[in-house]
Amino acid sequence: MKTIIISSMAFFMAISIYSQNINWRGLTTEQKHIANLNIGLDYGTTIGLGYGYQLNTKIPIVLNLEFSVPFGEKLMDDFKTKIGGNIKLYEYNGITASATIQGVFRRYGNELVRLLNFGSDMSVMVGYYKPKWYTAGEVGFDKAIVTHFKHSDLYKENYPQVQDGWYEPATGGNFYYGLQGGYSFKKSDVYLRVGKLLQEDFKTSPMLPFYSQLGYNIRF
Amino acid sequence: MCKLKISFYTISVIFLSACEKEISISDPGNLVPKTVEQDQSLPYISVNGTQFHAETFGNPNDPMVVFLHGGPGADYRNGLNAQQLADNGYFMVFFDQRGCGLSKRHNKDSYSIQLLFDDLAAVIAHYRNSPDQKIFLFGHSWGAIVATGYINKYPERIQGVILAEPGGLTWDDIEKYNEKSKKNGLFTEATSNILNVDQFITGKDNQHEILDYKLGLLSPFGYKKDNEEGVEGASPFWRNGAAILAGLLDIGERDGYDFTTNLSQYTTNVLLLYSENNTSYGSQIAVEEASKFPNSQVAKINDTGHEMIYFKWNSVYPIVLNYLNSLK
Repeated sequence: MKTIIISSMAFFMAISIYSQNINWRGLTTEQKHIANLNIGLDYGTTIGLGYGYQLNTKIPIVLNLEFSVPFGEKLMDDFKTKIGGNIKLYEYNGITASATIQGVFRRYGNELVRLLNFGSDMSVMVGYYKPKWYTAGEVGFDKAIVTHFKHSDLYKENYPQVQDGWYEPATGGNFYYGLQGGYSFKKSDVYLRVGKLLQEDFKTSPMLPFYSQLGYNIRF
Repeated sequence: MCKLKISFYTISVIFLSACEKEISISDPGNLVPKTVEQDQSLPYISVNGTQFHAETFGNPNDPMVVFLHGGPGADYRNGLNAQQLADNGYFMVFFDQRGCGLSKRHNKDSYSIQLLFDDLAAVIAHYRNSPDQKIFLFGHSWGAIVATGYINKYPERIQGVILAEPGGLTWDDIEKYNEKSKKNGLFTEATSNILNVDQFITGKDNQHEILDYKLGLLSPFGYKKDNEEGVEGASPFWRNGAAILAGLLDIGERDGYDFTTNLSQYTTNVLLLYSENNTSYGSQIAVEEASKFPNSQVAKINDTGHEMIYFKWNSVYPIVLNYLNSLK
C-alpha cells in the first residue's frame, strides 16, 4: 500500500503531459499554451476545463491539467482531476501513434458515502493527422487504484460496523475504446471523442456504457 | 521548485499517515453486514438447500402471516412495523428472500421463479404447526408480485393475500412501472450519483460484497427529491442483493413473467393497497391489478408513497387488520 502511494505521488509530480485531444500537425512550436473547454458523457454528464503548456523539447511535450465535474445540484461533491503525459511513439506521413499516461484524483459523494480515489488512466492512440483535421482510434484503461471511504451517519445508522478508511486492492477499473476526430482553424481545434466502456472483467458494462466528449482548444 | 518539493513532501506525509488502516473491499463485514452464513449469531432457518435470515413474532399456533419484502434484492428490515399484527393474534413470519438481506448469497445464474416459490413453500412448512393453521401472505412491491405468483400457481395453499403496490403482475407491466417510477433527467444530481460510482467501484460476478455495497449506494435514488413513487426518505435496510436482482432481471428479459394466468382459481378476497403519492402507480393501476382477481378490495393509503408500510404503518395497520380478521 505504502509503495503504491509513494509511487503514485512520484508519478504525479514527475510526469510530463501531452493533451489527448490535440491536432499534432496543427500545433506549432511557438504555441506554448493550450486552453480547453469540454462537455460530454463520462460516467454521467460532465463539463470540464483543461490547460496545457508545451515544453521546448525535440519531441513535442505538453504539460497539462484537467478538471471536470458532473452536472447536478451539488457542484463540488463529485469531481475528477487528471494530470499525465503523452509520448509520441511513431509518425510517418501523418500517421501518428501516441501513448498517454495520466494520474487521476477524483471524488464521489452522495447521502451515504464520500469516496476519494487515486487512480490512473492509460491509453494508446493511432490516427491520421493533417494540419486542418485529424482522426484517431483510442484504447485505454482507467483504474481506481486506492480509495478512501468515509460513510455518512445515515449509512452508519443502517450498519454501524462499516469500516471507514483506505481500501485496497484496487476498487475498480474500466476499459474504453473509441474514435476521436477534430477540425483545426486559425488557433483553434474543435474535437469529438466517442466510444464504449467495459469493466475490467470484460463482461460487464457500466450503467452508462459509452462516453463522448465535445471540446474546444485554443492555442496561444 | 522548492515549493514543489515542499508540496510533494507534505502530501506524502499526509498519505503515509493515512495508510495505517488498510482494508480489503471484498472481505465480509467491511462494507456490508455479514450474512447468516458468515455470522452464526444471526437468527436463521435452513430450508430448501439454503439459509434464510428469519424472525417470527407472536404465538406459533395463531394464523400465520408471512411477510414478503420488496426488491428484488431488498430485505424485510423496513417492513418490521407489521410485527404489530402479532399483538392481534397472528403469527408473524419475516424472512429475507434467497440471496437478499442477511440470507445466504447465491450466484446470479442459480435463481429461478420456481425456486422462489419453493423457498416460500419451505418457509411456510418450516413454521406451520398444523394443517389447519391458516396461512396469509403480506407482500410489498416485489414481494406482492411473488405473492401473486405463488397463489397463481398454488391457489389452494393460501387463505388470504395482502398486496401493497405490486407494480406489475406480468413482466411487461413491471417494465412499464419501472420506466415510470425510475425516470430522471440526465443532468440531475441523482443521475450523476448513480452513474458516477462506476468509475470508483467495479466488481466481478462472484464479488458479492462489492456488488451488494455498490447497489446499496444507489438506494438514495429511490427517495430523491420529487421522486415518482412519493417516497418520503430513507428507510432502513441490511443489504441489497445484487446477484438476485441481476439474475431475476435476466430471467424477466429472457422468459418474461405472467402471474395472472390462473388467478381465476383464487376466489378468496384479495386486499390491494396503494398510496396517494405514488404517481407511477395510482388508483387506475390498483383497480386494474385488482380486477385480475375474482374477488378483491382496493384501499388507498393517504399522505404517503410506495414505502407506506414503513412511513404510514398507522394508516396501513387498521385496514390490514380488518382484512385479516374477516378471513380468520
